[in-house]
Amino acid sequence: MFLKFFYTLKEIGIPVSPTSFLTLQKALHQGIINNLDDFYTCARSILVKSERYFDLYDQVFAHHFEGVPLPENDGFEVDEIARGMLEEWLKDPKRVADALGVNEDELKKMSPEELIEYFKERLKDQKEEHHGGYKWIGTGGYSPVGHSGYHPGGMRVGGESRNKSAVKVANERRYKDYSTAGPLTQAKIGEALKRMRNMIPAGPKDRINIDDTIRETLRNAGEIELIFDRALKDRLKVILAIDNGGWSMDPYIHVVQTLFDYARSQFKEVKTYFFHNTIYDYLWEDTARYKKPKKIIEFSKLDPETRLVIVGDASMAPYELMAHDGSIHISERSGRPSIDQLQYLAKTFPHCVWLNPVSESMWGYTHTIMTISKIFPMFELSLDGLEKAVTRLMAKS
Amino acid sequence: MQQESKNEFQGAGKYILDQELASIVNISMKLEMPLLLKGEPGTGKTMLAHAIAESLAMPLIILNVKSSMKLIDALYQYDTLTRLNDSRFGDSKRDVSNIDEYIKMGKIGQAFCADRRTVLLIDEIDKADTDFQDDMLDVLDQMQFDIIETDRTIKAKHRPVIIITSNAKKDLSDPFLGRCNFHHIAFPDPKMMRKIINVHFEGIDVKLAENAIDAFYVVREIDSIEKKPATRELINWIRALSVDPDFRAKDLITNQLPYLGVLFKKSPDYERVKNIATRRKMF
Repeated sequence: MFLKFFYTLKEIGIPVSPTSFLTLQKALHQGIINNLDDFYTCARSILVKSERYFDLYDQVFAHHFEGVPLPENDGFEVDEIARGMLEEWLKDPKRVADALGVNEDELKKMSPEELIEYFKERLKDQKEEHHGGYKWIGTGGYSPVGHSGYHPGGMRVGGESRNKSAVKVANERRYKDYSTAGPLTQAKIGEALKRMRNMIPAGPKDRINIDDTIRETLRNAGEIELIFDRALKDRLKVILAIDNGGWSMDPYIHVVQTLFDYARSQFKEVKTYFFHNTIYDYLWEDTARYKKPKKIIEFSKLDPETRLVIVGDASMAPYELMAHDGSIHISERSGRPSIDQLQYLAKTFPHCVWLNPVSESMWGYTHTIMTISKIFPMFELSLDGLEKAVTRLMAKS
Repeated sequence: MQQESKNEFQGAGKYILDQELASIVNISMKLEMPLLLKGEPGTGKTMLAHAIAESLAMPLIILNVKSSMKLIDALYQYDTLTRLNDSRFGDSKRDVSNIDEYIKMGKIGQAFCADRRTVLLIDEIDKADTDFQDDMLDVLDQMQFDIIETDRTIKAKHRPVIIITSNAKKDLSDPFLGRCNFHHIAFPDPKMMRKIINVHFEGIDVKLAENAIDAFYVVREIDSIEKKPATRELINWIRALSVDPDFRAKDLITNQLPYLGVLFKKSPDYERVKNIATRRKMF
């Protein structure tokens, strides 16, 4: 029963498992589900395990039981498809240009953001003529499925249970706010950084060590000898170096700010430094990069267990990274190219990562990103990337 | 089984239940699966377990998860120190050679050993690490665990009704989710909130309730508030307003909001709301 419904859910990208589908069957057989409203809530609680998919579920439900067309509901899918088109475009520009009937060179002039906007416009224009014809994009599964023949008022058994039918509820799309990846909020960052803990004994000896106590008691011929330990506390040292200069980082300031706020509240020992584009002789403690410089050489005095997190787009002219006098600030030209300094830092702090707000799919297009990612393990500044970065930072070397 | 059909959850004294949630609770009980509840703080996740226990007249056992917690802490505790002490001084009535006398049940153990069906609330599971979560689900799945010291298996006499809450934005692990039913409690809309307030304040002045709720949803909408006030804050706020003899309900319409400290507990939030409130008053 409801196999098609199940597979539509799966196709649209909700991670539904066969086991949960069997559980749903069990529920149906036990006669707990008596009407469509029950089915709506129960199937959702059994099949869908995250509120992020509630909106998609609502859409599929409305589609399956009411025939509300799937792709043409509104913006959300268009965004998804446009993103799919961008990916396709990166792989094979000519095919996309041909399909849209425009000149490839014209599209090439646009930035990714512009391209997305352009694709969206085109998709909106073409909605009428293009029913379900998005197959070539490779997102798959958007082809309209047939009407299931459900009559809106026909399946109710238990009388009025709520003032709205499930289909209406589903069509309201109450969970829209929870869908899509969303921006990187403080809570999400906190979630990702949670695992960055380094527990070491600290404070007064107030925890009893049972094993040692027994051992000492035996040695003492049965006379009880209590052994105390220090409690474990989190004492992780973190250095956060942020690229806050120049316009190239401007779009990401908000995200970085959030990361910065969180780091400050979370870790006891977090030092924040700033730099512009890349690191030369100094890192600065003040955001203006003027008052409080700290020499890179001096970082070698610090605990090598310190976690070094660098945030920057790593995008600059290659000479800024490679040349002996690459810095755009005259005072910093000591003769060591930035790339040496970066390598020095990476050697001083084995636990280091570079977080890049630029989308990972675009890294290959910037020379300096590729070079720097060979020195530091580089991760995208997104929830996934943060998680990977944290795993990397906490890995035992 | 016959008895169970009577055991349907319908909501309890001070808990306002929407129909949707009620049927999810009932289906989880029938399928004997744990119910995982997510939602903003203050949407009544913990309250739900209390309400279920009250409505079904079952004892409620609460396991407050802590970040340093190990699974064994939730199952049982072997009190080595007391035994050591007894073996040295021998002045207690306990039999030192019987380890069972030194095993104390943890919260999950208590729920398993109880003589009647219980409601087991596992609060804020997201605080613990993933291993804890998965291991715990194994125990809850099989409804039994072993006491290593005595090589005894504890089996649940009655399968408890299990409610798990989580505040996390991140999803829990897949195997974990696979074994639970899931529900996300959305923040109540004003209409729902009205009902909640009515339950908590019987015979409350209609004007006061209406204006307070209106003002509450307005301040909740203010941008860049770090911690939005939740139901709990609103209830406390109304309590504060209704004991203040100088307070008149119509003040709220003109944006004179007293006791903002009850609603906003972080100082930047408080300052921001206060500024906005004073600015509005001038017009």
